[in-house]
Amino acid sequence: MDVTVGRFLRFIVILFVMVVISWLMYKLADLLTVVIVSFLISYILDPVASYMEARGFSRTAATAIIFTVFFLLIAINVWLVLPGMFGQLFVLQKQLSSGGTDSLILAAQDFIKSTASMVDIESIDIKGKLESFLTYASDQVMAILSNIVSIISAVVIIPFVVFFFLRDGRNMKKLFISYIPNRYFEMMLNIMHKIDGQLGGYLRGQFTEAAVVGILGAIALLILKVKYSIIIGIFAGLANLIPYVGPVAGAVPAILVTLVNGGSTSTIIYIIIAFAIVQFIDNMIVQPIVLSKSVDLHPLIIVFAVLIGGKFFGLLGLLLAVPAAGIIKVTSSEIYYGLKKFRHL
Amino acid sequence: MEEDTLWGNIFHKKEKQSDDIYTLLAKVPIFQDLNKRELKAIERILHQRTYNSNEPIFNEGDTGVGMFIIIEGRVNIVLGKDYKLLATLSNGDFFGEMALLSEVPRTASALASIESQMLGFFQSDLFGLLETNPRLGNKIMFRLAQMIADRLRFSNLENQQLKIKLARLEEKSKEKKVS
Repeated sequence: MDVTVGRFLRFIVILFVMVVISWLMYKLADLLTVVIVSFLISYILDPVASYMEARGFSRTAATAIIFTVFFLLIAINVWLVLPGMFGQLFVLQKQLSSGGTDSLILAAQDFIKSTASMVDIESIDIKGKLESFLTYASDQVMAILSNIVSIISAVVIIPFVVFFFLRDGRNMKKLFISYIPNRYFEMMLNIMHKIDGQLGGYLRGQFTEAAVVGILGAIALLILKVKYSIIIGIFAGLANLIPYVGPVAGAVPAILVTLVNGGSTSTIIYIIIAFAIVQFIDNMIVQPIVLSKSVDLHPLIIVFAVLIGGKFFGLLGLLLAVPAAGIIKVTSSEIYYGLKKFRHL
Repeated sequence: MEEDTLWGNIFHKKEKQSDDIYTLLAKVPIFQDLNKRELKAIERILHQRTYNSNEPIFNEGDTGVGMFIIIEGRVNIVLGKDYKLLATLSNGDFFGEMALLSEVPRTASALASIESQMLGFFQSDLFGLLETNPRLGNKIMFRLAQMIADRLRFSNLENQQLKIKLARLEEKSKEKKVS
């Protein structure tokens, strides 16, 4: 009887704690995002700090140098790329709404009709889709920008938190470990090490790959003189985080923009070739080096992850769904195998 | 004046405790070649833990991922379900160092026989050290390799002697059969 009451009480306490944690997470969502983003940035930068430490720098000096270089790069990007990017976005939106591109869209529709007659072109409604996407994209960007809290957190709090995560991360980890009961301590240490090994490689690989594809894509489009090359490059890089669809999704906006602006068929062929080359470089050179495909995710999981991400967190959720699924897969499988190995399962 | 004494006491106490730990670490064979700065770096990555009397530190068959050094206390190394005592270790002794090299099941259990303070040094920390401070990591690896080479040599000698003894016994039993 006592045992049953005890179990029931424990269940109630756990339930209460979970409700309180969920409520806090909901209320502190903004703060939580800052912490998660800062953690991810410092986690990705951690090996650089370790490498510098191995070369004789103190952890604080290494952190300060990385911090300065990293945020200088971001500042330069914000200074140079962002105005151009917003300019391009607004011009594109204005151009579409002014009706000046109607004839070109019709031309593109005619082109599709003549080459692929089985497609019901009226039901596709290229212009409507493009307009609603652009309105959505620029609304999202404006929503982020107009939110003063986001600006402050992005400019001030995130760098501040990243600095301390990067410098004191190891001590924080040690402190966390010191609270683990003796019985589970060795097992937890082993599990954390395994997760760190797999996840570190995976996340760093994913983001390096996205950066390489984004930069190469933007350069290729700049050379081909395709409009909005920077936005499309950034989009291609981020889309690359989604397997199967990503590489194609990167080329589609470039082709659409060329069609809308009355670009020639040869330009479209060049765009396709350029993106094929970028993908070739990514597959043959970047991926083997960064080992970003070290976490195998079943295609079905990828589809559901992308759908769930898009449904709950919008555009950002869509793009970050696959890395998030990778994190969940690695963490849960390592915990499971760890518990099994240490005979707690 | 009083404040000075208070702060002085706090720092003095902490300093003394750290000095004790460095002295203790310097006696552990795998840390033997290290200077004070390197010992400080090691001390930063070690995990300090307290075990109650009769609390297991690890159990036979558990996967081991590191070694333990006794700062203060007493540990019994026991075997089997009936806890057959193999050795009793005390301040400055260490055990479980083989697990630093390979994740194999522990061959015996370790039990704290009184409340004990331990330092844990784990495979993940050693790997981390090899990345962040390869010089220091290699010194430890070399010492570890030496220790295992010594043990292997000892085992080989023992093995040889046992083989000779076995051959003699076989000869004797043959002679008995013949006669």
